[in-house]
Amino acid sequence: MTHRFLRILGAVGAACAIGLPASLAAQDLITRDRVGLPDAPNTMTFRLTAFDLYSSDAATRDAFEALFTAFIEARPDWKIETQIVTDNIGQEQARLLEQTRAGRGPDCAMVDSSQLALFKSAGVLAPMNAHWSAAEIDDLFPYVRDAVTNGAGDLLAWWWFTDLRVLYRDTRLVPDAPATWAELEDAARATVEGGKEGLLFNGGRWEGTTFDWLAHFWAQDGRLVDDAGRPVFAEGENREKFLAAVRFYEGLVDAGAAPPRVTSIVNYDEFNAAAAAGTTGLFIGGNWQYGQLRGTLSAEDFAAWEVSAIPGPTPDQRATGTGGWTIAALSDDAAAVEVCADMIREIYSGQSNAIQGLLPTSAAQYEEFDVFEGPEYDVFAEALVDGQARPGVPIYPELSNVIQIMMGDVLSGAATPEEALDAANEAVQAAFERL
Amino acid sequence: MSETRRAGRAAARPAIWPWLAPALLLLAAVYLVPILDVVRLAFGDATLLRPTQSYGLDGVGDVLSQPALPGVLWATLVFTAASVAGILGLGLFIALLVVRGETRRLPGMALLRIVVLTAWVVPGIANGLIWQMLFSEAPFGALNSTIALAGLSPVRWLSDPTNAMISAVIANVWQGTAFAMIVLYAARKGLSNDLYAAAAIDGAGPFARFCFITLPQMRPSILVAAVLVTIQTLNTFDVILALTGGGPGRATEVLSLFTFNTVFYNFDLSGGSVLAVILVLIALVLTVLYIRLLVDRADGRP
Amino acid sequence: MTGRRAAWLGDLATYVAAFLLVTLFAGPLLWLVSLAIRTPAEIFLGAARFIPEEPTLANFEQILTDRTFGLYLWNGIKLCALGALGALLTAIPAAFVFSRRSFRGASVLMLGILTVQMVSPLVLLIPLYRYMERLNLLETHAAAAAVYMALGVPLSVWMLKAAFDAIPRSLEEAAAIDGCSAASVLFFVTLPLAAPGMASAFILNMLMGWSQFLVPFVLLSQDRLQPISVAIFNFAGSTSASTTQLLAAACVITVLPAIAAFLALQRLIVGAIMAGAVKG
Repeated sequence: MTHRFLRILGAVGAACAIGLPASLAAQDLITRDRVGLPDAPNTMTFRLTAFDLYSSDAATRDAFEALFTAFIEARPDWKIETQIVTDNIGQEQARLLEQTRAGRGPDCAMVDSSQLALFKSAGVLAPMNAHWSAAEIDDLFPYVRDAVTNGAGDLLAWWWFTDLRVLYRDTRLVPDAPATWAELEDAARATVEGGKEGLLFNGGRWEGTTFDWLAHFWAQDGRLVDDAGRPVFAEGENREKFLAAVRFYEGLVDAGAAPPRVTSIVNYDEFNAAAAAGTTGLFIGGNWQYGQLRGTLSAEDFAAWEVSAIPGPTPDQRATGTGGWTIAALSDDAAAVEVCADMIREIYSGQSNAIQGLLPTSAAQYEEFDVFEGPEYDVFAEALVDGQARPGVPIYPELSNVIQIMMGDVLSGAATPEEALDAANEAVQAAFERL
Repeated sequence: MSETRRAGRAAARPAIWPWLAPALLLLAAVYLVPILDVVRLAFGDATLLRPTQSYGLDGVGDVLSQPALPGVLWATLVFTAASVAGILGLGLFIALLVVRGETRRLPGMALLRIVVLTAWVVPGIANGLIWQMLFSEAPFGALNSTIALAGLSPVRWLSDPTNAMISAVIANVWQGTAFAMIVLYAARKGLSNDLYAAAAIDGAGPFARFCFITLPQMRPSILVAAVLVTIQTLNTFDVILALTGGGPGRATEVLSLFTFNTVFYNFDLSGGSVLAVILVLIALVLTVLYIRLLVDRADGRP
Repeated sequence: MTGRRAAWLGDLATYVAAFLLVTLFAGPLLWLVSLAIRTPAEIFLGAARFIPEEPTLANFEQILTDRTFGLYLWNGIKLCALGALGALLTAIPAAFVFSRRSFRGASVLMLGILTVQMVSPLVLLIPLYRYMERLNLLETHAAAAAVYMALGVPLSVWMLKAAFDAIPRSLEEAAAIDGCSAASVLFFVTLPLAAPGMASAFILNMLMGWSQFLVPFVLLSQDRLQPISVAIFNFAGSTSASTTQLLAAACVITVLPAIAAFLALQRLIVGAIMAGAVKG
């Protein structure tokens, strides 16, 4: 018996030692890990998401293959070696930092806009000043410009698409867009009386909870950190603004205008499901969900859904959180940085937005492409004026973490807003000391 | 005669160190340096952004004095105790059930084993997809709409702090049972039928056979399963991360998830290393405790 | 008569319990399958629909015709088979010594070996990367396989020791009288009797290697080197269109080799016991 067992083990080992031929079609210009010819003398390594060139969606992939083919045919001396970013953002950024420090990082990489600050402060980004004009940089939305430049005026990354949060409503239940917190609560109650769940929003332990809710804090001009990057949200007038925004959400749940289950929502897709099932009439979601709803709902139902800006305490106080992805160069090699910058310009900035329907980061690009003509883009573009990026400081992820914890404790009734705020502040100050 | 016997025994006794060498050298080559590095980091102030600048005990004190830590340790205790009990209990039950079915030549037992195993090998990324739908508290949530058919009112699976812990344990037991099942199935299969035949002659019922033959005979394997399942559970966080992220609040934030947050949200590499060392100490204490409980009371030989 | 009736009732109870367990364990899996056979239009319905209105096998087709999916699967099989094999081969002599010899420090050493498994892989990840980078072993299957092997050693030593302990020494002593060396006693007497334990240790190592994410994620960043456990993320996520259905299909397909390996090796356990029964 053992002999048979060992024979099988031996066979497995032998098979491993020989190895299967890993040959792919060698002369393809685009493979899973390369763009260009394998024997091109110069190499730029590029770490990208699986959203575009390697998208599972055939139409998207074809469009990007065409762009990349044209790009590399114009540079026959170059090949791009590609690596894919997983969506484990935490481990991914740690790996990228380690690799860059060890001199093994990619020359060029997509970095989530919320992680950009980390790489800026680690000093691993190569300036790309030479490749953009001052006018082009000036044309970026203010929050974008702040994030991609440093104090010395260097351009350290190109933020090529953005996103934002808006209020979705079923106009059959809520005909008019609520403009204030009070109107939003009334509208939510009206949907509950109509047999729906009330206002849905992210309230669980994940980044979306903090990010979406911050719109209510930012609308009052609240500040999370001071100029030195120290958390100040629990001090002075920020404290009152912060508590007001927390109490607003607490009040929604207490009054039954939002269901207690919001503390379990850790995914925007949950809102699509509720809209499709017809169990909600109001939710705070991302701009990209508009396209998802179009594909999921019947034409008649979809026509009833509209987007508007997230209400603030008064009609004049508005804000919305903005995210998206950047591309940065991490190389000492000026030639590789140039190819990276050219690639951003020729493939990603503009073209790529249009193919994927992703919001551009400068006003001019909305005019340039026909894709952005729908009425929803008017709402998005208007709301982006009030756009706020997350503060570009290394303490932000922990700040977000304690706000998520606070939200769960308050909305599940485990703590009062004041207690939860003090606990959050204590934790984040301790973390800041150690950072 | 006695001389031959002694000589034979001596020849059959394996020498200690040469036989241990392959395993020890492999472990040392791969892990010695990184583990010592973790210990070194624990006494420093390194972050993901910069290397250690000074060493001392201050950092250890900072980590241990965090107000969140007692709650996290309590959550770890509850989650680990419930998960280990569930995984071992269910794993043992399934192993014995399958063996009974096979002895009686009942068809279909392979299906049970395969289904339990599949739960274990499904890629971690699927957990989030599956459990979010099952435990969804939306009116159309999978579990809630099922129990509504039975006329029961919906359960707040994830938004209630206590229930969230129960749900996390359910998801973890679902995934982890296969491990205990495989270990205990092999152990039960290894038991000699003579004991059971003798017990049958003595007229022992199924319960008596379980208590006086199966359990004592399987004790060494149960010990191994308990130790390994405990260590795995202490280091598990992906199920919880996918299900609740540790929430609501910190209700389901176990030590391994807290470590994850410390390293990847705080970038606090040294703090994370302190927590990792604490986790090792907890696992060691539990292992010694199991050995005491399961071995010393018996004949002294595991 | 009563005996037969009791046995019949026992069989019934066995089936009732088995049915409940299958339901419990299969339920969540069926939801995964439900996602895997949906069209993108139905994916966002989430839990609101279990059986899709327009079920499709297109997702499976897309995954199976992906040029590199087979390579990822092969990388996964290679790493976890090498890892399991290496762990078993190094653990067998160690476990035999722990079982058959008592020596000072044996229990401390057993605990020490286990400690390796207790260190949080999350925290170990960064020192491990730095160490492998100094050794210049990043981006090699050899280094990744060595880590897989080392990961499997503690489990294998503990499990095999328990398996060896359960084997009566009288047989080994008889062989020793015949003049066999320790190695041949182990190989010809002990190992055949410990086959069930060995097979389950091998199975567990294989399957744990199969779902290993962190080690290959850190040590291998080149796409063509990655095992399926990491590469599956290539099918995850999209900025606008849903790829959840593809991801679910990839997960379902990924499970199949693991089940096949399990079934093949489980057969060995049962076979070993039958062989033992005939001998005994």
